[in-house]
Amino acid sequence: MSRVPDHILMAVVGRPHGVRGLVRVQCHAENPAKLPRYSPLLDDRGRAFRLRWQGAGIAELAEIVDGKPLKLADRAAAERLVNLKLYVERSRLPTPDPDEFYLADLVGLAAVADDGRELGRVEAVHDHGAGTFLEIGRLLVPFTRAAVPDVDIAAGRVTVVLPSEVLGEKPAEAAA
Amino acid sequence: MTRSVWKGPFVDGYLLNKAEASRQSSRNEIIKIWSRRSTILPQFVGLTFGVYNGHKFLPVQVNENMVGHKFGEFSPTRNFTGHSGDKKAKRG
Repeated sequence: MSRVPDHILMAVVGRPHGVRGLVRVQCHAENPAKLPRYSPLLDDRGRAFRLRWQGAGIAELAEIVDGKPLKLADRAAAERLVNLKLYVERSRLPTPDPDEFYLADLVGLAAVADDGRELGRVEAVHDHGAGTFLEIGRLLVPFTRAAVPDVDIAAGRVTVVLPSEVLGEKPAEAAA
Repeated sequence: MTRSVWKGPFVDGYLLNKAEASRQSSRNEIIKIWSRRSTILPQFVGLTFGVYNGHKFLPVQVNENMVGHKFGEFSPTRNFTGHSGDKKAKRG
C-alpha cells in the first residue's frame, strides 16, 4: 500500500536482533536519538508503533492497540515487521527556524524564474559540506538569498534568480 | 608525503584571476572550474564556484572553514541520495 502524502518516512525496520523481539532500525531522522520523540510512528496501514532505542541501531518496537503498547513478543513477531516503513505526520514536525526549511517541504516545489518563466520542479536538495543547493531539472542552484530570494511553501513555489556563469579556463586552455 | 611548505599551496593560476574578477563584480554568479586539485585560498571566501565532478558543476560556496582544502573535496563524483526524513536546509 502506498504511503499517505503528508507522511514523512522516518525509519525502516530491518532484521530481528536476538530472540526477545528487538529489531534493527534504519533511521532517516537528522538526529536518531530524537526519533522516539516522534512516537507513535505510523506504517502504511495506519498502525501506530512506539519506538525505544536499546542500542546503536537496535530498537524495541511496540504496536499501540487501544492506547496500550504491545511489545513484540519474540523473534518471530520481529521477523514479520522486516522492511516495515515507519512514517510521521508532517504536521508533527517542529516549526523550523527562520530561513530553515525541511527538505521534505522543498522537494517538489515549482521553480519559477524572476521573470515568471517556469524552470521545473525541485527534484532534490544536496549538501556536500559546501552549502546547500537545489537540483531543478538539469540546473543546480545554490540555496542562497541571492539565488533563491523567495520560498513560498504554501503556494508550492520557489523563485529563482539564476546566477550568471563565469567560465574558468579548461585545463587545455590554461596550459596553452 | 606532504607538500613542502616553501612551495606554498598549489592553485591553478587562472583561478586567481577569475576569483578577483568575480569579487570585483560582486554579482550573483558561479565560477565554473575544472580544477579540483586547486587549494582553496582565503581570497576565495564568499565566492561560489561550480566544481566539475565529471558530470555536473556542483555549486561550492566557499567559507573560511574550507580554506586549505581542495575544491574536489566538496564535489563528490559519486552521489548517494537518501531519504530526507526531518532533515533541514538553511538558506545561506
